[in-house]
Amino acid sequence: MHTVVAIKQVPDTSNVRINPDTGTLIREGAPVIINPYDVHALEMAVRLKERFGGKVTVLTMGPPKAAEALVECIEQGADRGILITDRKFAAADTLATSYVIAHAIEAIQAEEPVDLLLFGKQAIDGDTAQVGPGVASRLDVPLISYAIQIEAFDPAARRAIVHRRIEQGIEVLETSLPALLTVEKEIAAIRRAPLPNLIRAAGYQPEVWSADAPNPFDPASIGIKGSPTIVGKAFTPPPKEAGELVHVADVGLAAAVSTALAKIAAAGVVATLPAGAKGGSP
Amino acid sequence: MSAKLVFDAIVVGAGPAGVAAAITMARGGLRVILLERGRFAGAKNFFGGVLYTHALAEVLPDYWQRKPPFERPVTEQGYWLLSPDSVVRFMHKSEHYKQEPAEAYTALRAPFDAWFAEQAVREGVLLITKTTVIDLLRDGQGRVIGVSTDRPEGDVYAPIVILAEGVNNLLTQKLGLAGSDLPPRFVALSVKELIGLPAKEIETRFGLAGAQEGVAIDIFGDATLGLPGTAFIYSDKKAISIGVGLLLEEFIWHNLRPYEVLARFKAHPVVRPYLEGGESLEYGAHLIPEQGYDRMPELAGDGVLVAGDAACMVDALHREGTNLAMTAGRMAGETALEAHRQNDFSAAFLRAYRRRLEESFVLKDLKQYRRMTDFLDSTPHFMGTYINFVNDAAMRFFSAHGMPKRQMEGEIFGLLRQRRSFFGMAQDAMKLLRGMRG
Repeated sequence: MHTVVAIKQVPDTSNVRINPDTGTLIREGAPVIINPYDVHALEMAVRLKERFGGKVTVLTMGPPKAAEALVECIEQGADRGILITDRKFAAADTLATSYVIAHAIEAIQAEEPVDLLLFGKQAIDGDTAQVGPGVASRLDVPLISYAIQIEAFDPAARRAIVHRRIEQGIEVLETSLPALLTVEKEIAAIRRAPLPNLIRAAGYQPEVWSADAPNPFDPASIGIKGSPTIVGKAFTPPPKEAGELVHVADVGLAAAVSTALAKIAAAGVVATLPAGAKGGSP
Repeated sequence: MSAKLVFDAIVVGAGPAGVAAAITMARGGLRVILLERGRFAGAKNFFGGVLYTHALAEVLPDYWQRKPPFERPVTEQGYWLLSPDSVVRFMHKSEHYKQEPAEAYTALRAPFDAWFAEQAVREGVLLITKTTVIDLLRDGQGRVIGVSTDRPEGDVYAPIVILAEGVNNLLTQKLGLAGSDLPPRFVALSVKELIGLPAKEIETRFGLAGAQEGVAIDIFGDATLGLPGTAFIYSDKKAISIGVGLLLEEFIWHNLRPYEVLARFKAHPVVRPYLEGGESLEYGAHLIPEQGYDRMPELAGDGVLVAGDAACMVDALHREGTNLAMTAGRMAGETALEAHRQNDFSAAFLRAYRRRLEESFVLKDLKQYRRMTDFLDSTPHFMGTYINFVNDAAMRFFSAHGMPKRQMEGEIFGLLRQRRSFFGMAQDAMKLLRGMRG
């Protein structure tokens, strides 16, 4: 049983300052943490390892400083940490990032077959939720996003039953393995890491992969070259103003409804209102 | 389930005492685990003050090459005697202070402790952070044989444990080496703010020639509303550390809120101009144990030694603590090495630690000032009365408005008489002398 978990080191957005002129996060000097959803993905992987044996590999792309996030993953129960770092990867959008992660997973798979891929549902600094699905489609494995529970898991039969959150409720899916799950926090509650893990992590050095070694990445697909996303402008939208209240008790029901209808018509959000339209049940 | 975790020595707490002990033992060839509850060493610390290099040099002779994160060398230091609207300054500035490395540096302990612990790791110490020691493991005879932490599979064993757990010495108390909780009479609460300013601005305001100069000022009198306590202002690289410390008991008796005392001090007409335009970077408070020599915990038990704040090693009068802690930590480490050589970890053998301390400045100084807290406690008017007098006297002395000098002298004398009788003054002087001479 081999699970690969992809993580990201992000600024602690609960403890970060916003540049008032640009409306963007001030990343310099901001404390960094492992993206909170990713920690739960790792915890799920460690629980599966405890049940079925095997190993957990953690992967991240980021600056050299992200090595400390991998050490923290070793504390939480991972066996192997790989840091993909190179100036050439800088300024990657989600397309380039999913290429790098997918390509790295292929390299890991070549060394040692992978049964399951776990990602956080999204990173709290970008909130796109695109990298997990991007990797799944590049690797051509089933994707279950917003997973909240693994109901059944059978590595021998290569099947799993997973619950995922959808707008209308919960969807229960059966999938073949390997599959890629992007997870919500409910997937597994974080436990306090045992002391022997911390001792192991204290001397742990993550593997470092560059753009060229040990597995060369396609130079045209990485970093700024591989990133077609253009950010036109980043701004903080003005707060929504309070709407006008028309109290039925003050003006009576008919007047209130016709005032509302008149507002809707004036705003042009509904193309046409039937002439003489009245409120009430159809 | 993993194998039992066994080391040659366990150190609880990665402050100056714990790190000094760990380095000393690792250099002596022991396998040492250093347990720290903060996210990193220094994370739980709020100290912005003066560090003395003599104690550091004895732990790490090449500390200077390892680039400690000091703020500024202390090239000028002394006292301000503050009345409500004026100040008399006793400052000492000397070329002697300008050697490198200097005798004392202003420093912030959060970065300093992280650096110091990093040196321990370089010496082979296993540093484990984010882990709180919650109890001691003992054998059938009650001898300490290890510690248990707040982590799963968190028991660690060693024939010797050095407790450098800081002022909140719960483990030392659990062992019965210290009495239960610290009495408010003997614990100071120091509230501090770090105020960011450009380096140039700091140098202009304090009259410093550049980054190679720094100032450390202890302030008495109105800063603490005339109550026994001190305030301080230290110049850092790009910030000023400013704070006020009072015995907990004073806060309670006078119904003072720590932040109000600091706010009042910062608003003092003499102080305010130094802070103008600064940005508040940090704000917090810390306890300082000031029990003194006579109320120190037992320093050794079977398989255990206590060092630093946990053992109340603070010389409040000279604002020294970190150097006492480092020296005590080193001596605890040396004693542990000797215990390993002799394979004797009994309390009787480990009491050699106390004897080492008695021969060093650590216990000599603490012994000498053993009555200082009592003195301040029994002479609460001391600060207010005399400091206001000195300010008023200075004002008379320096003014010239046609009064004969003889008359001026008489007035100054009268000022003193109004405040305190001859008998009272004589008593105060005697008590002060006793406080200073031990």
